[in-house]
Amino acid sequence: MFALLARLFARNRDLAAFAVCAALSLVLLSLPPSVRNGIGSGVSTVVFGPFRLLATHTASLQGTREENERLRELAVRLAEERSTLLSYRSENERLRELLSFLVSFPEEERFRMLPARVVGMPGSRVVERLELDRGIVDGVKEGMPVVLPEGVVGKIATVMRRRALVEPLTSASSAISVVVERSRVRGVVRPRFGSSSDVLGWHVDYVPARSDVRAGDRIVTSGLGGVYPPGLSVGTVTRVAPGPLTMTVEAELAIDLSTIEQVFILTERTATPHDWSSIEEEVFRRFVPIGPPMEAP
Amino acid sequence: MRTGIFAGLAFAAVVLDTAFAPEIELFGARPDLMVLVVVYGSLLVGGRAAIVAGFLMGVASDADIPTYLGLNALALSVTGLATERVWNHLVRASLLVQCAVIFAATMLHDVIYYLGYYRNHLDLFGRFIIRYSIPGAIYTAVLGVLIFAVAKLLGAREVSGGTLG
Repeated sequence: MFALLARLFARNRDLAAFAVCAALSLVLLSLPPSVRNGIGSGVSTVVFGPFRLLATHTASLQGTREENERLRELAVRLAEERSTLLSYRSENERLRELLSFLVSFPEEERFRMLPARVVGMPGSRVVERLELDRGIVDGVKEGMPVVLPEGVVGKIATVMRRRALVEPLTSASSAISVVVERSRVRGVVRPRFGSSSDVLGWHVDYVPARSDVRAGDRIVTSGLGGVYPPGLSVGTVTRVAPGPLTMTVEAELAIDLSTIEQVFILTERTATPHDWSSIEEEVFRRFVPIGPPMEAP
Repeated sequence: MRTGIFAGLAFAAVVLDTAFAPEIELFGARPDLMVLVVVYGSLLVGGRAAIVAGFLMGVASDADIPTYLGLNALALSVTGLATERVWNHLVRASLLVQCAVIFAATMLHDVIYYLGYYRNHLDLFGRFIIRYSIPGAIYTAVLGVLIFAVAKLLGAREVSGGTLG
């Protein structure tokens, strides 16, 4: 029998190899479970151990990368939300200022105040006009003063149905009657332009020589002319120079017109005290941004 | 040289088939890379090398499930012997023939292996063969022929030269 097999395998080496392999396979299959487990564990560790370690490490790296991506996205989203919240805070502070300004007027000088948003600023280097989102339908008329808590902005020059253009203090045709708050010396504030039409500064004209005006004095509206109510801040005296008939008084405005976003239009004097709650409601209705609800990170 | 490359391929097939098989799964079907190595081994290197490689690859892959240690080795050895015998009667250079041989070899391997694996649950055996073995055999056959064609295109002249009939 063995001799026959030996002859067969000698003639066919492939068959011999198969016989050996098949026999070994059957031996492995017939081993006791504990021995099979031992062999399996050893072979598995030697052959696959390094690759399993590599696969685990790769999966871990992949997980870290994905987490990194998620954290990056979260950081960007949080930065955007932070920016939005900061702008809300800034606007909130601004509205508080506006509200405190509303109640600061003396009873007899109270106007109806219409809050408005600046929606355009035509002009290049000099702010020639401010475009507001209020118009005829809101009761706005030409000549109405436009103010802020910090001071006078200008007056309404043109009114359209839902828009109005303000002639600000930077406008070439602007002139506003003022008094020096401390000494009650009167004058007229006008812009001074350079050769390239840039505003060089503001002069208080028609101040008599030897008037009591000093640098640092606060300038407020006089109430003359019937446009602006008295006592609104216009600016501050920066330099005083004596002259033969009138003094040269230079001033700076209380407001940077290029940065304003909201203003008040003084529409009409009120015979009765304000209903402050309705104004407060109006201010918040118009200015407090109500954005989409923020997603939780 | 050729035997060394074949051994390297066999080792790579075991590692890929065991450690990274889920990555190359397609609609639940996985290619049987070890069968591919055995089939092309018997075609290009010789039956004996294919049978021994099949046995060793089988032992290595069986190490994961020691309860059936030796079963895959036996199935791959049989597959190696069968394909070696079959090549002698076929036009080896034909990709279609290769495709058919790989399919048949994969099915043979799966039938032997899963008959042993499900010997007490033959109903499961039938379902498994239909659900996984046939799609897996098709996948293996297509993948094998593609790899062979690419290898040929890349200039493996030794492979396409003398050995093929």
